[in-house]
Formats: sequence, structure tokens, C-alpha cells
Amino acid sequence: MRNRDLLFGIATLVVAAVYYGLAVAIPQSDLADPVGPQGLPRVYALLLAGLSLILIARSLRPSATNPSASNPESRVPNPGTGIPRVIGMLLIGVAYIIVLPWFGYLLSVAALITATIYFQGGSINGRSILVALSGAAIFWLLFIWLLRIQYPAGLWPSVI
Amino acid sequence: MAVGDLIQLLFSTAIIPAAFGGVAWGILGGALPGISPSITMALLLPFTYGMDSTVAVVLLASTYVGAEYGGSIPAILIGTPGTNAAAATVIDGYEMKRQGKAGEALGISLYSGFVGGLFGFLVLVLLTERLSNVALAFTPSSYFALGMLGLSVIASLAGDSLLKGLIAGVIGLMIATIGTDPVTGLNRFTFGSPELLSGIPAILVMVGLFAVSEMLVQTTAPAWEKATHETARIRFPTPALWRRIARPQAIGSVIGACEGMMPGAGGAISSFLAYNEARRWSRHSEEFGHGSPEGVAAPEAANNTVACTALVPMLSLGIPSSNSAAVLLGGFLMHELVPGPMLFVQHGEVVRGLYAGLLVANIAMLIIGYLIMGPCIWLVSRPKPYLMAFIYALVVSGVYAFQASLFNVGIALAFGVVGYALRYFAVPFLPMVLGVVLGFMIESNYRRALVLSNGDLSTFVRNPISAALLATAFVVLAAQLMRQAKSRANAR
Repeated sequence: MRNRDLLFGIATLVVAAVYYGLAVAIPQSDLADPVGPQGLPRVYALLLAGLSLILIARSLRPSATNPSASNPESRVPNPGTGIPRVIGMLLIGVAYIIVLPWFGYLLSVAALITATIYFQGGSINGRSILVALSGAAIFWLLFIWLLRIQYPAGLWPSVI
Repeated sequence: MAVGDLIQLLFSTAIIPAAFGGVAWGILGGALPGISPSITMALLLPFTYGMDSTVAVVLLASTYVGAEYGGSIPAILIGTPGTNAAAATVIDGYEMKRQGKAGEALGISLYSGFVGGLFGFLVLVLLTERLSNVALAFTPSSYFALGMLGLSVIASLAGDSLLKGLIAGVIGLMIATIGTDPVTGLNRFTFGSPELLSGIPAILVMVGLFAVSEMLVQTTAPAWEKATHETARIRFPTPALWRRIARPQAIGSVIGACEGMMPGAGGAISSFLAYNEARRWSRHSEEFGHGSPEGVAAPEAANNTVACTALVPMLSLGIPSSNSAAVLLGGFLMHELVPGPMLFVQHGEVVRGLYAGLLVANIAMLIIGYLIMGPCIWLVSRPKPYLMAFIYALVVSGVYAFQASLFNVGIALAFGVVGYALRYFAVPFLPMVLGVVLGFMIESNYRRALVLSNGDLSTFVRNPISAALLATAFVVLAAQLMRQAKSRANAR
């Protein structure tokens, strides 16, 4: 766990450095107030850097303990065996973003549900496809018919 | 208003069906992650145009009441808040669900929401006209101090690692700086993207951190235990539990009443503050974060109180204290009702109708909330792959619906990755959410206060409201630091 604290401290230190670099690059304005658009971002970057250094120093101490291990929010996943499935889940979302303008809402959501069932450990069979199509229809009714949200129609109007 | 007048008012117009309809619509919208109460109300706004003024404002206000409660349903059942204000409910509500106490958690949430709503209603009726001068006295330095008070809650949200909590909070503040600078109008950290000009909405950060990261974690986790029929049934608090949650409900109601009346505070701050104070005053503080019923009761009482008390500055001064209050203000203006002191003189019947409608809405919440929960709890018992697939579809659909933007879906997915990483590093991400929610208010008012005082920093302590709020923030932070130091000393 101490290694994770060290890794996290280094990562946030890098974030602070990059953010500070971007903050000082913000152009000056004639309308600027005494603090200016760079003011608080620079303070935040320095604050983050300072906190990161403390975390790094604490994690390097031989007697360091990690009190946050008991944090209920911190259910540490097992990235060793599950990371391909995590990436798969993310790719499903990315694929949804890409295909939605082409395939339209109904088909895209049905595909997303089917793929997610598979990546969550379910199997692809007639039942799962039926559930996916039914789910897509329910979401279509809720968001497009009831809430009247304009989702991309896809290529279907031109095909039909 | 006499009881006889109230009854006559209720039955002479369509206030009762409007209140029930608004609550049902609000619970449905609030329960959908990504669909905030303000969106739920905004979707309804065009339909109220042709309605009677009183019925229209009752419908919108009841939607607000329902949505504030509805946000707790996904917070408990799927670990993602349906609304910003329900974020604090996730901590213990979702933990109770994991322990097979979903029905109990939902019962506490509903009952506490009802109690908070009634208290908020009483405050609204009693103080709307009288306390308007308090909000008038707020200056930018007061708003800044209010934001700092909200941030001080990080000390308690950070769990046992204050350092990691502070890091997460600062990152949240950094995220809040993305977009157009509030004073000069310059673009910051937008990388030329027009979608980032208005910043990253807090709801995307929350959906990503809570919902998407949870789905990613669930991908590698074993299937969760199914809720049995007995545990899946909504359970209202037993007399013993009722006595136990009475104190956090009172704390939540009082904090919700105070915060709701402060412009800019809103339900999110009040629910976190209520959670913090309930933990501080609890005899079972060690249970907080591990499925404490008090940890559900306090924030739910607070955010439902806010749904009523947020109308105090809106009705008395025309200042909306939240997005939802702003939408309600739009409803008033659409019907040529101008909030302010004259509203009570020129359109007293509308104000009285609104009061009556809100009373009915809080009772309706108890009834409709009970009826709607059955199907919600049934959903949790479905096979995990199917449920996760539907949640994923709901999240991407809801996020798109927020601003009809696929870019937002990408942002939410990106924050899902951030949330997954934070879980891996054992970093609490609620402080990050708080930083994002409060960042804009803190920066804009800090700078405005300094402009008004010609750069004199003493303006923050010379203003009595600002000084009091900052002192409270300092006490909250110092108390938590002392508590941690004491527990470390005891551990040695």
C-alpha cells in the first residue's frame, strides 16, 4: 500500500507540474483583477505539489502506516486479472460514442447492453439479445418519446 | 392562513393532482443518474405555459421536492447519486445496500425526507417574508466564506487520510477552473475545445466518479448477494431506529433550513454538512461510512429541507439559490409573477397556493415514494450482468440527455477512469466532488471581494457574516485535525 501512496504522490506531483505550466501560460488581460485568471490556479498547483511531496515523504518513511486502508470507499480492485475486462467496458462506451451518430439511438443502446452483459460475465444467447432489444425499446420510450430528447437518428431515415 | 381556507384552496383548484403529478415526475427524474432536478423541472416548464399560475408553480415546486428525494434511490441502490444533493447519501446508503439493508436504507431515506420536507415547509411559511433581510446582507466575501465552510467538510469526508482527502479536494478545485474565467472572460484549460468553454459540469464528474468507476470495479468483482424478498421490501424505521435517527434528522433539518436560505449554498453543501455534523454528534460515529442509518437520515433530511427553504430567497428577493430554484423562477416569470415583496401583495393567492401545494407534495412524496420503491428494489435483485448493462445504458443516455452532447459522454467515461484510479490508490473521491461543486463560487467571489476592497484581504474578516462563516470553517477543520491527532496518539 505504501508503494501505491508513493505512486499516487508522484502522479499528483506530475499533475501539479503540468497544471502549473498551463496556468502560467494563460494570457494576461487588460481587464484582469488583482488576482487575475492565473492567480488561484497557480495557488492550487503549488498546494497540490506541496501535499504530494508530503505524501511521498510519508510513504518513504520506514515506519509509515497507511491509515486510509480502512476507508470504505477504497475498494481496491484487482487489476492483475480484471484489467482486460475493465478496458473492454471502456471500449464499449467509446464504441457507443462512435456508432451513435451512424446507427441511431435504438440500435446503439441495444448493442451497448448486449456487449456489457458479455463483459460483465453473462453469455450471449437469445435471452440476452431479447433483453437488450427490450431494454433499448424502454430507453427509447423514456428518453425520446417521453422526455423528448433529440438523440441522433443515425442513417436510418435516409435508408428508409 | 386558516385551516378552512387551506382546505378550500386545495379543492378549488387542481393543486392536489399537480402536487402528486409533480412529485411522481420529480422522483422519476431524480432517480435517473444524469437527470438533475433542474433538468426534470426544465423539461416540464413548457407544458406549464397554458396552466393556471398556481397549478403551474405547484407542479414545478413539487417536481423539485420529488427530485430531491428521488436522487437518493440510485444513491442507495447503485451507489451513484441521482442528484448532487444525494452524494452524501451514497456513503452509508450504498454501504447498507451492500449489507443487504437496501429496504431499510430506502425507508430511512423516505421517512427522513418527509420529516425534512415538513420542517422546510414550516420554515418557508414562517420566515419567507421575515428573513429576507439576511440574504440581502450577503456580499461576495460572504459567498467566498460560505464556499470555504463547505470545503472544510473535506476534513470529515476524507476518512482516515486527511492528506489524500485534501489532495482530492485540490484536484476538484483545479477541475472547477476549466472554462471561461469568471472575471475576465479568458479561456482557461480549454485546449481550444468549445465544449469546455462553460467548464465541466459537476454532474459529469459525479456520474463518472460514482457510476462509471463502480461499473469498472464491478467488472472484476464477484456477483453481489441477491436481496432476499424480506430484505428487498421497503422497511420504515422501527421505533428504536426512529429514536436513533431523530437527532440526525433534526441536525439535517436545521442545517438544510439555514443552508437552503443562503443563496448559492444548495442541497449538496447542506447534505455534506449535515452528514458531517451528524457524525460529530453521534454516539455511534464509528459506524459512519460503514452503513450507518444516521448517515442516511441526516443528508436526506437536509436536502429535502433545502427543497423548501431554497424558495425563501427566491420568493422574497427573486434570488435563486440553486439551478432548480432558477428554473422555478423561470416558471414564475413565464406567468408574469415577479418574486419579491410585491408578490405577497399582488399575488397572495399564488403564494398561498404554493404553500398548500408544497404541503401536499411532502405527503405525496411519502405515498408515491413508497409505491415507486417496489419496482426499484426489484431491479436490484436482477442478475448482475443484466443490471450493470442497463445501468451503463442509463448512464450514457442520461449524460447525453443533459446537454445533448456526446462529448459529455466521453468526459463522464474519462472521470470513470479517474474514479477507478482513485479507488486503486485508496483515495476518497467525495472531496474531489466538493471541490468541483464549490470551486467556481469560491474563486469568483474571492476575486470579486478583492476587487471591491481594492485588494484588501481584511475584507474577509471585517464583514461579520464572512468572519463568522470562516471561523466556523476553521473550527470544523481544527476539530477534525485534533480528532485525528488524538486517535493516532491512542493507537501508539
